[in-house]
Amino acid sequence: MMPTFFPLASLAPELLIALAALGLLLLGAWRGERAAWIVAEAAIAALGIAAVMLVMRKGGVGARTFFHGAFVDDAFARFMQALSLVGGAVSLLLSFDWMRRRGIGAFEYPVLVLLATLGMMVLAAAGDLIALYVGLELMSLALYVAAAFDRDDGRATEAGLKYFMLGALSSGMLLYGASLIYGFAGSTAFDDIARAAQGHVSLGLAFGVAFLLAGLAFKISAAPFHMWTPDVYEGAPTPVTAFFASAPKMAAMAALVRVTTTAFPGAAADWRQIVVFVSILSMAIGGFGALGQRNFKRLMAYSSIGHMGFALVGLAAGSQAGVQGVLVYMAIYLAMTLGTFAAILLMRRGGAYVESIDDLAGLSKTDPATATFLTLLMFSLAGVPPLAGFFAKYYVFTAAIQAGLFSLATVGVLLSVVSAVYYLRIVKLMWFDEPKAAFDAGARAPRWTLALATAVVGLFFLLPAPLVDAALAAARALLPA
Amino acid sequence: MYQAIVFLPLLGALLGEPVGLRAGARAAEILTTGLLLLCAALSWAAFFQVGYGAQAHALVVPVAQWLKVGDLDVSWALRIDALTATMLVVVTSVSGLVHLYSIGYMAEDPSRPRFFSYLSLFTFAMLMLVTADNLVQMFFGWEGVGLASYLLIGFWYEKPSANAAAIKAFVVNRVGDFGFALGIFLVFALTKSVSFDAIFAAAPGLAGKSVHAFGMDVDALTLACLLLFMGAMGKSAQFLLHTWLPDAMEGPTPVSALIHAATMVTAGVFMVARLSPLFAHAPAALGFVTAVGATTALFAATVGLVQNDIKRVIAYSTCSQLGYMFVALGVGAYGVGIFHLFTHAFFKALLFLGAGSVIHAMHHEQDMRNMGGLRTKIPLTFWAMTVGTLALTGFPFTAGYYSKDAIIEAAYAGQGWTATYGFLCTVVAAGLTSFYSWRLVFMTFFGEPRAFGAHAHDDHAHGDDAHAHEPHESPATMLVPLALLSLGALAAGFAFHGAFVAPGAEAFWKGSIADMSGAVDAMEKVPGFVSLLPTLMMVGGFLVAYAMYVMRPGSADALAKAMPLAYRFLLNKWYFDELYDFLFVRPAFWLGRLFWKGGDGRIIDGFGPDGVSSEVLAVSGRVVRLQSGYVYHYAFAMMLGIAAIITWYLFMGVR
Amino acid sequence: MVGLGQYLVVGAILFTLGVAGIVLNRKNVIVILMSVELILLAVNVNLVAFSTFSGDLTGQVFALFVLTVAAAEAAIGLAILVTHFRVKGSIEVEDLNAMKG
Repeated sequence: MMPTFFPLASLAPELLIALAALGLLLLGAWRGERAAWIVAEAAIAALGIAAVMLVMRKGGVGARTFFHGAFVDDAFARFMQALSLVGGAVSLLLSFDWMRRRGIGAFEYPVLVLLATLGMMVLAAAGDLIALYVGLELMSLALYVAAAFDRDDGRATEAGLKYFMLGALSSGMLLYGASLIYGFAGSTAFDDIARAAQGHVSLGLAFGVAFLLAGLAFKISAAPFHMWTPDVYEGAPTPVTAFFASAPKMAAMAALVRVTTTAFPGAAADWRQIVVFVSILSMAIGGFGALGQRNFKRLMAYSSIGHMGFALVGLAAGSQAGVQGVLVYMAIYLAMTLGTFAAILLMRRGGAYVESIDDLAGLSKTDPATATFLTLLMFSLAGVPPLAGFFAKYYVFTAAIQAGLFSLATVGVLLSVVSAVYYLRIVKLMWFDEPKAAFDAGARAPRWTLALATAVVGLFFLLPAPLVDAALAAARALLPA
Repeated sequence: MYQAIVFLPLLGALLGEPVGLRAGARAAEILTTGLLLLCAALSWAAFFQVGYGAQAHALVVPVAQWLKVGDLDVSWALRIDALTATMLVVVTSVSGLVHLYSIGYMAEDPSRPRFFSYLSLFTFAMLMLVTADNLVQMFFGWEGVGLASYLLIGFWYEKPSANAAAIKAFVVNRVGDFGFALGIFLVFALTKSVSFDAIFAAAPGLAGKSVHAFGMDVDALTLACLLLFMGAMGKSAQFLLHTWLPDAMEGPTPVSALIHAATMVTAGVFMVARLSPLFAHAPAALGFVTAVGATTALFAATVGLVQNDIKRVIAYSTCSQLGYMFVALGVGAYGVGIFHLFTHAFFKALLFLGAGSVIHAMHHEQDMRNMGGLRTKIPLTFWAMTVGTLALTGFPFTAGYYSKDAIIEAAYAGQGWTATYGFLCTVVAAGLTSFYSWRLVFMTFFGEPRAFGAHAHDDHAHGDDAHAHEPHESPATMLVPLALLSLGALAAGFAFHGAFVAPGAEAFWKGSIADMSGAVDAMEKVPGFVSLLPTLMMVGGFLVAYAMYVMRPGSADALAKAMPLAYRFLLNKWYFDELYDFLFVRPAFWLGRLFWKGGDGRIIDGFGPDGVSSEVLAVSGRVVRLQSGYVYHYAFAMMLGIAAIITWYLFMGVR
Repeated sequence: MVGLGQYLVVGAILFTLGVAGIVLNRKNVIVILMSVELILLAVNVNLVAFSTFSGDLTGQVFALFVLTVAAAEAAIGLAILVTHFRVKGSIEVEDLNAMKG
């Protein structure tokens, strides 16, 4: 047991990130641009150490709450926090080379990543609407700035502005929902809300749930709240897009799952319908929207919309197996996304970054290793066994079937076939089309990230147990079997 | 021993490429081929041990604990019973011989180690499929062979037609897989298990259960079987999903022999046989299986009549023979279907490899109109092909005679109109089979050599090495497999007829397939003319082919000119590719079209003006047009979303 | 006597006005920033009203959090807006259209 006079020791990872963010900000302000690389490396170190601390604590301590239940430290929070930290650390690592080449030696970006990650950690562990809101805003405000970080690029600032305006609207909706929930349930704490929302659900509460879910759906870019995603992914600097596509989704999905399962177990029949609606729409828009895309980042935006739809299939099941499926899905999605963005960062020709998928033509001849890795990632994103992407889909669909959602599962499997087509198109481009000029030699970080992500995705089937068991433990923290 | 059978090919696949790099291509060839031949030897041992031994139950060899989610607990285990043992023998024997044959056939290819790695990888995936102990493991092998075949068909990726064909095969199979995946989910939902033992135990209790989806109630078991069969249709190239198989002939010929004769395409047949205890309780689904199989048998045989590419003729023949197998399964004679699978593997692999030998001799010429008179030039290949043809057409006492005639008898004895339809189709198809098979032999080996007549004179590109044009017999590594397969094609039917299909075959199958004693008993009682009919059809087909291609060589062309419509209809494969182009443009069918006609490369990158699927483009365009770039449109979409959710709440949600 | 219902109606009207400002405004991005403030104001009216009528202070604490975060949000929004204006020379909503499809 922790000594009672210092309970904050359990919050060491969060405190570490917070202190690192503040300290590095001071260091940067004092030393200016000279400190940029030190700040970046220190930030990665902080994220890594925090992740290790979380994983080490796994299983050591059961569920504990702090600040009158506003902050929950359980297996679920730790799982999603660890994923967020990994996403933050890896995308920060990927940004080094990009920043150097673009001549942006600013120390603020690593600090922004740290602050956003801190917001994610709070979001994933929030047990109260106020904590949820504060975590969400801490994350979002940092992300708005990050999107517009390349401030001399009109597309980046446009992306930042769009993301900000729509993000503010979505926060407003979330807050409006939170105010209604507070009013009709009489509390902001999830367990009190759960007690109030048993049996008959009043109309005001139902409205509140709808608005709250809409606000969170915006953050995971689920349809119909996805509209910002393609534009922002395309406009934002590529390493920032990699960050957007990975870490915030983990945290927002964590909040979504926690709110629905712990605050509204009594209203499950209601919110499950909303999730089914959002899930089908996301899968469809992700699948069809991507078909015509030429810009790889934009294509990945639609891909992520579709993948969030698939992950939500698990939540729609509303069972422990379903939540486990969501968690496995998110973890595997994280690896696939980071790997793919690492490959996008390797697409550099004549000193300039290129983003069109046509630039990949004939990659198998000019750079067989990258082509092979990217091919495996594409097959995994399409859900072809035995790659990890298949297991991700498998778990959520199985959970949905067990919960009796046959129509949802059918539509989902059908739409996964649709989405397979555009991933296959990229594979075809790489292997069967006339090669273009070779890409410039890639930096070490993206190459290793790509290789590592591919290894994780490709070899997952040999040893699925650690991830699956951790996800099961996390799901148990929220729902009984 | 069983683990060795399954994992030795994987070892070969993994080591092939590195060994090839370090010790040369020859070392890689010897390594992979040696491992496969060892596998084949072990498989025969296992076959006799399991089939003729006293072991009463399926042997389950655990490999690893694997997936665990909710109620679903999947272990990775090898299920060895008579059905699996039969498949093991087929797969490893043919694969081993194909490896051996490829040493000669691919001798000029620069990336041989990669080729042999792919071959071994494919074999491993196929073995995973046939040894599966549960549906999920089977699905893994299923997708694995799909992936490996994609690599093998597209092996010559410099050829645009090869990679178009590879993609087409992959995409068409995804349609079937879609059904298969849904079928697995449905079975799991019904029985709470994916393990075969548990499913079969639960099957009798499922009859009459219905499932509710998309606002309809349908019989659960029938639906599950139909969905599973959809997977089989894709993989076994059955009517409507057959379009990929002939195109897949773009791959190297040994690949065609391995994948498209003996192994992958038979996966569908194997799957239905494996799940026969389930299908046995869904008579409507079985009727559908018969009808599809019969249609394919007849349809593919008619198309085979007029094809000129030597490999395409055999490809359509494969399609047709797979139809035969499904007819047998559909009428409840499961063992007969597997028996035909077993014998077919030998003679069809023989025909493919023989065709490969011809192509090799002709320097990669595949058009039969440019062949002829090869009988004296490559006599050994000629005799092998003749043996294969005899077996395929069902010449008495060859392999095909036993298995094919048994299917026709079973169809005659079967119940219901689908069985009658199956009987008629298979009998007619038997005559057609005989015709196109002998046509192939006559066009290739008899008559005047056509390649060195007018055709060769203006072929000045190779004028300086005219001696290389002379057809030459293949090397021993190619002839030995031909000889062994010839032996199989002659003897396999005679040797195993008693065990597989005769009354009392249960002693061999030991419950690995559903009870078929009813069908076998009925077969024994069919009138004598039914047994004679296929032989008569065979003789008739032979005589017509002999008359048209040997006695009066011009008569075939004259016939084609006399009936241009019918000729063109068959030559263009019943206009199926074109039909898919026109019929499914309608919005309701755009999705099916995407995948049926989809893979020919146009749809994969064809979103330009010449793209096939304007409908997909339209849907995609609509989604994209929503994405106007204006913030207020985005905000409006969000509000619409919220409004939709709340409206739904107001009218449906809150109770 | 002004009841809870009236407060909620005021909150709902403010919220709707804010959303309408975002959806209908085609001209100036500043108007959108103001609309966002309006939405947050609506939320605060709701929170304080609920808090008062239920005798529970949490709502008012929540409102303070919202006020604080709203200030930060406005600052960041304006900062991004200034950057964008520096590059593009326009803050018309309709000109924010470089990326679409």
